Order: sequence, then C-alpha cells, then structure tokens
Amino acid sequence: MKTLLRRARKQETVRPDILLGQIPASIAASANAIGLTPDTCLFSIRSDMDLSGRPCDAWLVVGRDRMAAFTADQLEVRVLSGPFEWRKATKIRNFQTVGSMFLQLRLEDMYVDVIRFSNGFREAFGRAVVQLQRMLRGEPLSREALAAPSETICGTCGLPLPGLRAQCPRCSGRRGIVARTLALMRPYWWSIFLLLAMMVMGVLLDLIPPQLTRYLVDQVLKPGTGGEVLSSASNSGFQAFLNRLVQGSGAWTRGDRMSLLVLILACLVTASAARHTLNIFIGRISSLIGTRITKELRERLHRHLLRLSVDYYNRHSAGNLMSRVLYDVDYFQGFVAQVAHGFLLNVMLVLGIGTVLFVMNPRLALVVLLPIPFVVVGTTFFWRHIYPRYYRLWDSQSKMAQLLTGFLQGIRLVKAFSQEERERARFSSAAGYMQQARRSVEMGMATFNPIMGFVFGLGGLLIWFAGGERVLRGLNGEPGGITLGTLMAFFGYMGMFYGPISQLTMFSNWVTGFLSAGQRVFEVLDSVQSLPEDPKPVRLSSLKGAIELRNVTFGYDPYHPILKNVSMTIEAGRFVGIVGKSGSGKTTLVNVICRFYDVQQGAVLIDGVDVRKIATEDLHRHIGLVLQEPFLFRASIAENIAYGRPDAPPSAIMDAAKAANAHDFIARRPNGYDMKLGENGSGLSGGERQRVSIARALLCNPRILILDEATSSVDTESELEIQKALTHLCKGRTTLAIAHRLSTLKNADWIYVMDDGRIAEEGTHEELLARDGIYSKLVKIQTELTRLEA
Amino acid sequence: MADVWGRKTVSIPGDEKLRESGYRRLTPANTRIFEGSFSLLHCQVEGAGLYRGVYAVLMFPVSYPDRYISLRYTDERDQDQEIGIIEDLSVFPEDVRQAVRRSLIKQYYERVIHRIHDIECRYGLLFFDVTTGEGRETFVMAWRHDRAEDYGASGKVLLDALDNRYIIPDLRKLPAADRRLFLGYIYW
Repeated sequence: MKTLLRRARKQETVRPDILLGQIPASIAASANAIGLTPDTCLFSIRSDMDLSGRPCDAWLVVGRDRMAAFTADQLEVRVLSGPFEWRKATKIRNFQTVGSMFLQLRLEDMYVDVIRFSNGFREAFGRAVVQLQRMLRGEPLSREALAAPSETICGTCGLPLPGLRAQCPRCSGRRGIVARTLALMRPYWWSIFLLLAMMVMGVLLDLIPPQLTRYLVDQVLKPGTGGEVLSSASNSGFQAFLNRLVQGSGAWTRGDRMSLLVLILACLVTASAARHTLNIFIGRISSLIGTRITKELRERLHRHLLRLSVDYYNRHSAGNLMSRVLYDVDYFQGFVAQVAHGFLLNVMLVLGIGTVLFVMNPRLALVVLLPIPFVVVGTTFFWRHIYPRYYRLWDSQSKMAQLLTGFLQGIRLVKAFSQEERERARFSSAAGYMQQARRSVEMGMATFNPIMGFVFGLGGLLIWFAGGERVLRGLNGEPGGITLGTLMAFFGYMGMFYGPISQLTMFSNWVTGFLSAGQRVFEVLDSVQSLPEDPKPVRLSSLKGAIELRNVTFGYDPYHPILKNVSMTIEAGRFVGIVGKSGSGKTTLVNVICRFYDVQQGAVLIDGVDVRKIATEDLHRHIGLVLQEPFLFRASIAENIAYGRPDAPPSAIMDAAKAANAHDFIARRPNGYDMKLGENGSGLSGGERQRVSIARALLCNPRILILDEATSSVDTESELEIQKALTHLCKGRTTLAIAHRLSTLKNADWIYVMDDGRIAEEGTHEELLARDGIYSKLVKIQTELTRLEA
Repeated sequence: MADVWGRKTVSIPGDEKLRESGYRRLTPANTRIFEGSFSLLHCQVEGAGLYRGVYAVLMFPVSYPDRYISLRYTDERDQDQEIGIIEDLSVFPEDVRQAVRRSLIKQYYERVIHRIHDIECRYGLLFFDVTTGEGRETFVMAWRHDRAEDYGASGKVLLDALDNRYIIPDLRKLPAADRRLFLGYIYW
C-alpha cells in the first residue's frame, strides 16, 4: 500500500515542466535543425501527449522568433507541429477540451493546434500562455512568473493540494478521523478522566458478585451441612459468629448460614446498587460531553459553511450538506458514548474478567477463549462485506433528501407541467434504493448476529462439558476437580466476558458508521475557503464608493475566462449602467466586485484598495445588493428588512420600507410588519418581495449599491413602484445597475456595454445611441418589442 | 429511436414546427466537410459559406456517443459558434467520417478504467492503482463527493487532483472484488 503513495509522490515531484533558456537534450538536435538553438530559446515546456492524445514525452520550444513542438520518445524524436513564426501569429490561447487542452496560435484567421497536454499541465501552460500573449503585445517576458512555484502541488512533499494555494494535507500534519475527534474532546479531559475512573470502579464492582455467588454455593448452601443447632450462650451473638466465620464453616450453625445468606445477599444488593449508581453518573456525564461536542461541531460546521465561497455551493447540493449537518454530526455523540461506556469499558471488562478466569482455573479459562478465533474471523468478514453497505445507506438517505428538497421547492413547476406521475416514479425509485440499501444492511446484520450468538452459545456448552467433568472429579475427590461454586462463578464471569466480546464485535459496526459520517463532516471542515482573508486586512469604517477594475480576467473555471482583461473606473456617487446579452459577463462582473470570487488576473479596487486586502466584513457592509430574485427568510417582514441590521429601531425599518414603496402594502396586512413570511417570502407578490429586499438594502445605507436585474421579473406596474423606490435608494451612492430594460438606464451617468466578457462600448445613453453599435441595436430591438406588445 | 440505455423517444406533431426555428441539420446534401491547411477540418455549407478551422463536439457524449455531432468554429471575435449538427455521421462518406472522428478524438481525453487493483486513503486523498486502456497507472484524487460524478446510468467519472478524467463506464461490469473495493470509498 505504501508503494502507491510513494509512486504517486514521486510522479508529482520528479520533473521540472518549464526550462528557462534551455532545450532538453533529447530534442536539441531536432530543434536546431529548424532554427531553434539554445541562444534563441526563451523557454521549453513539457507536455505528456501528442496531438491525437497518445501518451508521450513532448516539448514545446519557444524561441525569439518561432516556436515548435516535439515528441521525445525513446525510439524517435520528431516535430509534432511547427515551426510557427511569431510574426505570422495574431493571437495565442489555451483551448480547453474534455480532459485535455491545446495551445493554439491564430494563423490565417484560424486557430492552429501547436501542442496538446493533459489537465495536469494546465498550470504550467496557463503561465506560459500569459507570457506568450505578452510577447505578442511586444511586452517583455517575465521569467519570475514562469519560474514561480506551483500553486497546485505541494513544494515539500509533492502531493496535490486540495485547492489553489491550499495547505498540504500531509505537511500540515492533518490527522485521522479518530485522532481529530479525540482532539475535539480535549476541553473535556477532566470529565473523561472522571469517566475512566468510574469505569475502573465499575469493572471492579462487576468482579464481586460471581465471587460472592461462589462462596454462597460452596460454603453457605453446601449440601449435607448446617443441620446442627447450637444453643449454648457462648456460641451465640455476632462476635461469636464472626469468630466462626474466620475459623471456617465447619463449626457453623444453621443460624450462621442464614446470617451469611442475608449478609451475602446484602453485599450483592450493595454491589448492584453501586454499579447502577455509577452507570447513572457515567451515562449523564457522557451525555453532557456528547451533546456539547455535537453542538460545538454543528456550530463549527455552520460557521465554516458561512465562510465558504459561493463557488463551493455551486458544487454541492443543499440536501447533501443538510444531511451532514443534521445527521452525520450525531455520530460524534455516539463516539463519546463509545469512549465512555462502550469500547473502553468492554476492553476493561475483557481484560479484568479474563485475568480473574485464569486465576480461578487456567485450563477452564482456555476453554472460554476457544470461540475467540471465530469471533475474529466474523469481525473480519463484517468489515469486508457488511461495512460498505452502510455507505450506500447514507448515500440513499442523502439522495432522498436532495430529491425531496428539489421536489418541494419546485412543486408549482411539477404541477404546471403535469409531471406528478414522473415525480412519483422518481420518488419511488429513490425510496426503492433506500429500501434496498437498508435491507442490505439489515439482512447482513440479521445473518451476522445470530451466527455470532451461536458461536458464543457453543462456548457456554463447552464450559458445561469441561466444567461439569471437573465438578464430578471434585465430588469424587480426584485431582484437578473444582467445586460447583467455582463452576457457577465461571458461568457468571463467562456471561460478563462474552458480553463485552460480543459488544466489541459490534464495535466494528458502529465504527463503520462513525468513520463514514466523520469523513463527510471533516470533508466540509477541510474544504478550502477559496477566498483567503488578508492577515492584516485594511479596515474601512467609511467609504467614498469609487470602484476600479484594472485588467481583470476571471473565469469560474480558471482556464476558461468569462471576463477578459476588463478595465473600468467608476467615480464615487455615480450611477452606472451595465448592459449586454445573456452570458456577456454582467453578473460575473458584480460577483468579482462583491468579492464572491477572486480574480485570476488584474485587480478590483474600492477607493483605491484591492478588495483582497479589505476585511470581507467591511467590504460587504458597504455594498448593498438587490437581486433579480430576492431571497426572503422564513421570518417576519420586519426581521427580513432588518436582516443586515438586526438592531435597527422600528422607526428606521418603516422609513426604509416607506422609501422602498413597501410601507403601504405592509400596512394593509393584518399583522403589519409582524407578518410572518413563508418559505422564500411566500405570502407576498413578486413585486412586493422585491420592494422588501430594496428596503433591506436601504436600511444598511450602503455606499455602493448593485442592482442586478432588479426589475426584470416583475410586471410593469410593480416595476414603476420599484423604480420610484430605487430613485430614493440611489441618491448619494455609487450605483451599478445591470438592466435588461434599457429604458431604466436613460438617466445613468455612464453606461458600459459588455460583450463576450469585454467592454465593447461605453458612454452616455445619447452617445451610445449616436454610435449606432451594440447598444443602439439593443435599444431598437426593445423599442420594437414594446411596440409589438402594445 | 433509443439511447444507449434503450430509452425510447417519441416525437409529436409540433416538433416539425419547432424544427423550423431549430438548429441547422448538416447532411451530405447541404454540407461538404474536408481537411485543409494545417490538417484542420473545413466545412462548406450550402447557402452559408465556408468555415475554416472547424472542430467537432458530441452533444450527448454518454446517451448518443455516435450521433448528434456539433461542428463549431471560433469567429473573428474569438467567440465559439456552431455551424450545425450532424445527426447521423454514418450517412456521410468514409473519408468525412474519418475526419470528423479524428476531430472528436481531439476533443475528448478520458482514460477508461478496466481494473482497480488498490485504493489507499491518506490525508483525505484516495490513491488509486488501476488498469486503464493505456496500461497500469496510479492517480490521486480528493475523497470528495464532487470529484466522483455519475456517468450515465451506472458509471462514474473520477476527477483526479489535477482534473484529469478517469471513466468507469459501467460499475456492474467491473470484477466483483474491484467493485467492492471501489464502493468501499466511492459509495455515492
């Protein structure tokens, strides 16, 4: 197994992928032959395949005036493509396909493939293409950028990093799930120590009853003795009874035996009471620790989820995450319970009772151990064959949760398209999967448990045979015999020995569930925040609201840019419109200004400060966002308006609502501002929901206001109301309005027209109309549409 | 017509109307496809002109891996544009079929896993030792739900730590021991 890890590590670390000013020796002759010499070479970069995707060692050699790609296989060295002369190229790009990429040059108005590489080389070629684009623009090559250490592979151990610039899981010393869970228990060490002490006491108490039983059977209830009745005064009294007890049973009277019986029973009751009292404390303390740990873990998960970037939520379903926070965390309480009175207690009992059994009779103790190998075999079988079924059970539950979330949220759509039957079938299929997964687990358990029970039962029968034979030997006075009391004690201990062993076999069952749940919980906790906070962030108590985008390039997939070298400057207090077709990059622009994502190249500056350096909390406090589909929480209208300022006084809430033209419709509701809204604001119309969201933004008094298609999903009348509200909202703030309906931007100070991730046009409404470009075309189309609607 | 899982599709009368405003169908009657300079695919469409530097993309790579091939090109503004869709490649001459297939090979680079020899879990990463169509190899992937996605009805696509794609087209066709090993980790 270790070789796997070693091999993978070696694979990641061994080869430099970019050689500055060098041509690899293996292809030097071929490169020279087409005019690429070490004197003219700028850099060489390695690839892992030829143009048809066949794996091979390939190199792209970039010279001052030309470039070419070569294969450097052992058998032959040949030119893959080129040479391509720089002066003939107009553009260069990395073109993403499924699972690989091409570096392409634009020649004769076509993109020509230069070299192909697998996704593992994207980082190196990503850097190379940036430098090559600089060269095409006549800018100098940055050797530092090419030689910078990898951001996807750990420089120390060579393991791939879980995210860009993320901590290496190996070098950061991250431990296993059990060790990390134990670390969660660190604040409760004293309580756990107390638990352990109580458990030791409990085990000692458990050892007492069988010994008392043995004494009772062998000494007190011994057949054929205890018939005589002593009547003399010297033989009566408690002191005399103790004397006889110390001397031995030979001189015991019937009364003595009765007293002993009562005394032993009293001791048994006391031991039992003490044991159960201990159990009460153990249970209560472990519950206290367990519930606290799960609460803290849930809070920690929730805190982490709040910090995770928007990108994370694009990749994970809500149902899946809900399942982890709601159900998986419960396994951690189980872990504490197992530590407290499960695993550890059972181990102690097995060790303690095993020792006593061997002290009492080593040969009989060995017979007790006979079923143990079968138990080991059974447990191994369990791990191999039954444990993976738990994973599928969890998966079925998670998929069911996802299905239900989607179905309940989209119920109107289901009805509108009359897809009830299809949804029924989908649910039935998910329910079937869940049934099958649960049945698989339970059937496995239903087979496993009785087999193990039979194995333990056999152990008991073996003791009856071996022990019974020894008792008979003892009765006949033969050597190696034991008393009936000893056999009874053995049976008492055997039950206590097999019980924990049985529990320990089931422990694997529990560990399985815990490990899978733990993996899912720690998977969330280990997810990298793709937006790191600056260690010394700039705190902005106030803001003017100037926005600048400086050569911004950004894509949700880093190798597929949506925004391409965008630059714009928006002065504080200006009203700026952003227009463009769907997919032109308008909303992406907003996402990078709000720093929901970090740009890959360039910078976004607010009041001259890079947003990556501003404390995220300050940045978001100064930006108000009104979206096309306003999201309202299941709470009162007042609580929704005051979401960004929970301490806002009622008067401010009403002022904000008034300014947002929401006050009047709220006032008409029987419960006014205390009206409880349903899921996502149900109970209000689309226009009303939008006005509540505007009031929410207004109450926070943001210096920068972003309106992302704020009026596009409402009717004309509502739009008019919202427009009026926005007039209040925009006063004295920097406003960035993305609008579908261009009429709403007539009064904008400046308008940017986006097209394919670039700014295609900019100017005032009149200037853009006069230019007769994209904007003018869009206005004409909308005017025509309005005419047709009329 | 049925997809790879045998699911049948049904057309309704309105489909013809929809077709009028739908995608452009590329057929041997209206399209000439050939390889030109730099061995790139070129495409001449009747009434639309010549497109150079064309590439092919599968519209249903899992459901219909041999049908619905979109021919595309990058325009002068660096925007990818669709020329039209070949619904059935088999109706084209052999040389065209070969050229389009060569173009498709360039678009997809996925290693198909035939055997899983070992999986080791360390540091939240899974270290795979597998046999693919290219021989025995190892790769590392994060043990995360978003790195192993469904592929068709009962397949999985694994994305390694560097985003390379490894496909198991049908889990049911893996040897039982390999499948059990795989499901022990990738159970979703």
